Amino acid sequence: MFKGKSIALNSLLKTVLFLLVIFFLGKIFDPYNQGQLSVVLILFIGVLSITMLTGSSGQISLGQGALMAVGGYAMALLILNAGIVLWLAVLLSIIASAIAGFLLGIAAARLSGPYLAGTTLVIALAIPSLANRYDSILAGDVGLIVDFGTPPTWVTNLLGELGYEQWQLYFVLPFAGLALFFALNIFASRMGRSWRALRDHEIASSLMGIKSSRTRILVFVVSSAFAGLSGALYGLRGIVGPSVYPVSLSLTLLTAAILGGIRSIAGAFIGSVLVVFLPDWIESATSRFEVSTQISDYLPAVVSGVLLIATVVANPAGVVGGFSHKKRH
Amino acid sequence: MNIRASLTRRTFGRVITVTAGVAVSALALSALPATAATEPGVSATEIVLGMQLPQTGAASPGYNKVDDAMRAYFDYVNSKGGVYGRKIRLEVKDDNYKAGLTVSTASALINKEKIFAFIGSVGTQTHVSVIADINRRKIPDLFVNSGYTGFYTNPKKYPTTFGGLGTYVTEAKILGKYMKETFLTEKIGIIYQTDDFGRNTVAGLKSAGYTFEARKTAATFVAGTQAGGLDAQMTQLKDNGVEVVVVGAVASAFAAAVASANKIGYKPKKWVVISVGADATTFQTILLDKGIPLATSAFLLTGTITSSHAPAPGDATDEFVTAFKKINKDFNNGPETTWDNNVLQGMNIAYQMTSVLVGVGKNGVTRKNVISYMEKNAAKITSAAFSPLGYSATTHEAFTGFWVGAYDASTVLKPVGATRQMWTTDSGTGPVTELKWTRPAIGADSLPKGFSAK
Repeated sequence: MFKGKSIALNSLLKTVLFLLVIFFLGKIFDPYNQGQLSVVLILFIGVLSITMLTGSSGQISLGQGALMAVGGYAMALLILNAGIVLWLAVLLSIIASAIAGFLLGIAAARLSGPYLAGTTLVIALAIPSLANRYDSILAGDVGLIVDFGTPPTWVTNLLGELGYEQWQLYFVLPFAGLALFFALNIFASRMGRSWRALRDHEIASSLMGIKSSRTRILVFVVSSAFAGLSGALYGLRGIVGPSVYPVSLSLTLLTAAILGGIRSIAGAFIGSVLVVFLPDWIESATSRFEVSTQISDYLPAVVSGVLLIATVVANPAGVVGGFSHKKRH
Repeated sequence: MNIRASLTRRTFGRVITVTAGVAVSALALSALPATAATEPGVSATEIVLGMQLPQTGAASPGYNKVDDAMRAYFDYVNSKGGVYGRKIRLEVKDDNYKAGLTVSTASALINKEKIFAFIGSVGTQTHVSVIADINRRKIPDLFVNSGYTGFYTNPKKYPTTFGGLGTYVTEAKILGKYMKETFLTEKIGIIYQTDDFGRNTVAGLKSAGYTFEARKTAATFVAGTQAGGLDAQMTQLKDNGVEVVVVGAVASAFAAAVASANKIGYKPKKWVVISVGADATTFQTILLDKGIPLATSAFLLTGTITSSHAPAPGDATDEFVTAFKKINKDFNNGPETTWDNNVLQGMNIAYQMTSVLVGVGKNGVTRKNVISYMEKNAAKITSAAFSPLGYSATTHEAFTGFWVGAYDASTVLKPVGATRQMWTTDSGTGPVTELKWTRPAIGADSLPKGFSAK
């Protein structure tokens, strides 16, 4: 697609196309699906952080939800305490989470495999305790109340009256486009290639001049920036608090990345669609039958678990990998 | 398996195709268009109500029975022809007590199920995440199963939200008065969940004259994380020589606290528990899962002090209890139908909702009318409670009165005195005084007064 163009232009064209498609979907979807689509975009940004960290550079994190929380809390505090406007607060939250990622990256540069996974998991588990330890600032278990508000006049003048879900979607969309543009650039650039080289063979990549520790930290910083952006937008759905960023959120992101294809940007998007819409599809499929709530309540988790196992065993490259493999043959 | 690095670039173009596919799928799965009725969730034959609660997860035990009890009562009403011929349908979503999910379940109820009103939603911290959105949309948010004052004491902020319990502050003030008069020399300690439920409990006790030491020494915990036990908190209380433990937390937490205390050999003289955490059946069921036999858990519960605005579920002489128990037996299709406080609360909310729908009249079922009716006609919304509803234009607090009781050896809550004495107060600094009020009798056929199927 868009062959012969520079990396930046190629990425820009793909991003614009992506934005147009989502914008169009926002016009034709009903409010419920507009809301769901905005969650897809938010998680897409979060899953991209795993695609970079794990898929691209081979570092395992089970605590991306914690980095999302850093972005969420930074955004909420900037809005509530410093009175900073929504758009700017979201952008500044990216910097806050990148700094957190830098600090985490310093530790991560010395760790790998299960040790790194364990460390990141502990950080995810620590979020509720931190929120309660610094209750006067972070509002403990209840959290900080923020939301997307109402669209400004210039937006309604441009797009007409927007429902809350549609406004939510169109607010998230530029940020998703921004994330996609940067991800495409990084993946196609020298930086992305150096990450993949590090993942595939650390010694060989060192011989080629790639400084592994520095590169690992850089990956953490970039990945955290994506996670922070995702977390800030996720918090804007109503509240920033420990129960918004539970450990299960980190695992949901990882599930999405694996199902869609952990080494692929397209896979990140498809995985996000799957984890968001799967419960709806299951509900729709089972609504014709009399299914006990004891079963239906757990069905989405069971199905996604089975899909996850099936993917890991039969098709480790996820939906995108399987699709690509089939086409090649 | 070797996955080529260039996979991303080659396949990205196909994401558009996939996106389009997703769009078609999602559209196909989207809710059907609303009925021709002008009011969402209301047609000539049906009224659709929505509820969200933890049906699964650590905070779910006990509360996951409330929705089935409500549905059972509505099914009973439907079996009588419905309210003015309209059947009541209750749509329920599980939010797992995670606020991030509550936002999604609320969106599904509003946009997919097209509900007329929220009813009986469970949870303080989860409801915080959606209350602003629900009110912005002017959707009635009725009989919320949370006693957090912040939801109700400023109707200008949340005009559509009405309580379904007494506030935690009111309850804690009344329990605090009892404690002041009863525990003259004992050392009092507290365990509370670190949200507004817990903080309201602390605030109410402060009004009653109890202040606790610095927060860092208080035995706090995060709601929903008690599944692993509360050994550390109980050890803390034990080490500080606490003789009376107040619990401002959900039922699963109270059970976990008692189990932990039992495990470490800590035997406080009394437990004093805010009512939503003190259901006997839930308590015993959770302890049974932890390997503690029913006889032992009954022994552990005996003497526990709590309060209630309603009759004790074990009160066989109460006409509401008798009627609701029969409906529960005949109509409850839930996975767990054992009669207890949660079932009673669910039935009572459904009874009150039916009363409101009867009150607004056949042609008056609009969101605006329901809110206005509740503010102006609180006295007409009858229920099993021994306390009137406090709804008015200036507050949306529900029950303003409680009686104090203690569990006996057969796990029935009995008044602490010879007879049940009701106390009342406000959520501010007002005094606790005796409540003189007579509960209206249950309507004919266990239906609210004025009920008509035509």
